[in-house]
Amino acid sequence: MKRTSLLWLAINSLALASLAVASLTITTVARAATRPHYGGVLRLAIAGPVSSLDPADASNVSGQTAIQHIAPLLFNTLTTLDDRGEAQPSLALAWKSDFSSQHWEFQLRPGIAFSDGTPLTANAVAASLRVANPRWNISPAGDSVIIESDSAARELPAELALSRNSVVLREGGKLIGTGPFTLAQWEPGKNLALSAREDYWARRPFVDSVEIAIGRSPRDQMLSLELGRLDGVELAAEQASGTVAGGRVVNSAPDELLTIVFSRDAHSPEDRRLRQALGLAIDRSLLNTVVLHSSGEPAGGLLPNWMTGYEFLFSTSPDSQRARQIHEGINQSSAWNLGYDQTDPSARVIAERIALNAQDAGINIKPNPAASPDAQLVRIRLVSRDAHVALNHLAISLQLPAPDPHRASSQSTSSQSLSTADLYAAENALLQTERAIPLLHLRTAVALARNVHGWSEAQDGRWDLPNVWLSAEKPSTEKP
Amino acid sequence: MRGKMQLTVYNSRNPRMPSRPIRRSLLFSLLLIIVSGWAAAQTPNWHTPEQQLAEKISAVTGPGAISLELANRSSLNRTQAEEIHRGLLQELSSLGLRSVAPEEAAATVNISLSENLREYVWTAQILQGKNEPAVVMISLPRSSATDSGHATPAIVLRRTLLWSQPGRILDAAVLSGNPQRLLVLDANSVNIYQMQSGHWQAQQALPIYHSRPWPRDLRGRLVLRKDHLLDAYLPGVFCTSAAGVSLTCHESDDPWPLGSEELRLNAFFAPARNFFTGALTPGVGKQTSASAFFAAASLPRDRYALWLFTTTDGQLHLLDGFTDQTAATDWGSEIASVHSGCGSGWQVLATAKDSNDSKNDSLRIFEVPDREPFLIGQPTEFRGEITALWPQTDGASAVAVLHDSSKGEYEAYQLTLACDQ
Repeated sequence: MKRTSLLWLAINSLALASLAVASLTITTVARAATRPHYGGVLRLAIAGPVSSLDPADASNVSGQTAIQHIAPLLFNTLTTLDDRGEAQPSLALAWKSDFSSQHWEFQLRPGIAFSDGTPLTANAVAASLRVANPRWNISPAGDSVIIESDSAARELPAELALSRNSVVLREGGKLIGTGPFTLAQWEPGKNLALSAREDYWARRPFVDSVEIAIGRSPRDQMLSLELGRLDGVELAAEQASGTVAGGRVVNSAPDELLTIVFSRDAHSPEDRRLRQALGLAIDRSLLNTVVLHSSGEPAGGLLPNWMTGYEFLFSTSPDSQRARQIHEGINQSSAWNLGYDQTDPSARVIAERIALNAQDAGINIKPNPAASPDAQLVRIRLVSRDAHVALNHLAISLQLPAPDPHRASSQSTSSQSLSTADLYAAENALLQTERAIPLLHLRTAVALARNVHGWSEAQDGRWDLPNVWLSAEKPSTEKP
Repeated sequence: MRGKMQLTVYNSRNPRMPSRPIRRSLLFSLLLIIVSGWAAAQTPNWHTPEQQLAEKISAVTGPGAISLELANRSSLNRTQAEEIHRGLLQELSSLGLRSVAPEEAAATVNISLSENLREYVWTAQILQGKNEPAVVMISLPRSSATDSGHATPAIVLRRTLLWSQPGRILDAAVLSGNPQRLLVLDANSVNIYQMQSGHWQAQQALPIYHSRPWPRDLRGRLVLRKDHLLDAYLPGVFCTSAAGVSLTCHESDDPWPLGSEELRLNAFFAPARNFFTGALTPGVGKQTSASAFFAAASLPRDRYALWLFTTTDGQLHLLDGFTDQTAATDWGSEIASVHSGCGSGWQVLATAKDSNDSKNDSLRIFEVPDREPFLIGQPTEFRGEITALWPQTDGASAVAVLHDSSKGEYEAYQLTLACDQ
């Protein structure tokens, strides 16, 4: 994901601060509680590169965050997650599994059609899901889809709510969905225009269309917002604590993990202890406040506390004295190269600060964006509000060992959802490998113009654009 | 291997029935104090989780002297946390663990009451000697029943909770009689409940059939009738009850009745939107059209009725049969008139928000002696957004539907106005 330059950040912070007074004045004025208005064009900008709209396109790694926002506009999934992270019906009305949780049957909602009029069938769903999940055995069965996996898949309904599992009709290079919008214009990596579907099965969106500018610099985005050329822009995490002239900033709960990931398993007990020492040496609070403008929270675990309820059990307090003691007790010199994303200027500052902390404990780390580092500074978005699904995907993305909840499970039978204690055991086991040192959980944010209403303030920062409406538009001018 | 389905694990329960019964009958509602908001929260039963956590701690420490600290990191209030603390001490004591000062303890137990999206998570970190701390935990579903009530300092507005449910409520109506009955309109059905022993008991669900998808921000209105039970109006659909309490629905663009029975006016509703088109029948005097509007309220005058419309362009229009005046107000889009007998006899309820950032709506009461509305009393705050406000058929009350996003529930309130003595 592209990141804000520090220079721009400083300029922007000053500008935003100077406009805060105006915003405060605005918030004291009572606002009418009006019903949502239909109509209008919602103009957005996102920083992330999007070269493909196919949510199952694994090659589109750098655009994964953006595609998580865009895919639900064009496509639906079999299930969706509610505010509690629990699977709810979407294209599937109901589902059931056998006792082993390996064999699942999803009954499709009747009467759904793709935007080109093609009826949604079990065949089409099965074909779509096979693209994203070649290891699953997927077959149509009447109005249902059968999914079989090699091992227990107790969280499958939540897994199917992921964007990558969107139901897509792929025909002649075209991607057709059942979602609330249809594709009006697509210039890969530049612009996307969508039109609301009048016949959308889950109710027509309020706005008539959405235009999304892609890959523009944060500076351009903010200027366009303030000039009224955009209605909403995606902010970098370090901008999340700011304000915006004539509008507002909507923050998510911390839903992005900043972590150090080692390229290999610890090769010796000493190496393992040295990694522990590095974890103790890093002052996460200072990283958060100084470098990232308090846009996150110190992270001891891979998943944030709002998702698990137990993250505080993993300590985030720095203890350089203890780190030094550990280092001194090890007969091994360390000289790690710490890689980071060169396109993210704040990553360099973070890497340098980590190196300073490490130096205080006698550990030698060199920030180095060159290839083949010993460890990498990584920012990664949590893909699901379901903690088990999120942990699994973190492990896959960070190339950590797969969490083994079955081994950890002491409380759940194979047919039950995994318990929080199981999740804790699985996450703790992952951390015990010393492959990853969590640093911060960061918020994501959007800046919105004042005429934008109904923007979801969901904890994971997902966009619920069908419910967004614009007060500047006059629905009375349109045909009912 | 495809085996026989042994266990059905259908999607999460999506109950239409409320998880908790209404605890006060309407019969006593008039005796309630003016504030409402049904503040009395149920007392949750913490005994089982206290017992479970105590057993897990005991399994690590064995009987003996422990030092116990408890930190509340959850949305539980202080009283609840203290209650849990006491309960845990009691359970631990019954397992042979006594709480002593840290310097006398064989183990230190740090308990945290935390939570995630779905559950309360109670953890205990147990430190014995120089060993690595042991961690045990239990989790239990979070219940909205533990939310404390929210009292509001209303002056003349009485609100009585009629019903709450996870799904969107469009309108509700109370049928007087013995026993009382409650009708609740939602996107799929009209549900009939009967008062029994102070609680509404489900009696019948009358499904609503429609062929086209409902529009977003769905609206609907229930109208009680003298010659049959009810009519239900939804966008593009009209339903009417028949003998034997059944419901017949058909696609229809028939106009919806506005106001109360006494002051009748009908208006056409845009079938794929959330507003009225502005076409009126039979009209306000000679005026048969207004700007497209969200809601209307009527105020009887000596020789005519004054109609107020909150139009989709955010204005308030006042129609008296001859003129269409616009008033500059900060009213919300939902309004309803109520006959209180106080002041001029009729007042208008209007929604508002406290601030741009507020998720909560409030209701304000206005008198409209001539054409200029003026505020009376203090706004009554609601914990959530008001998604519907309809006058009841008799005009003596209104029904407001609140969406409390923190609880994920819709609540229907009966609103009446009382003279502020």
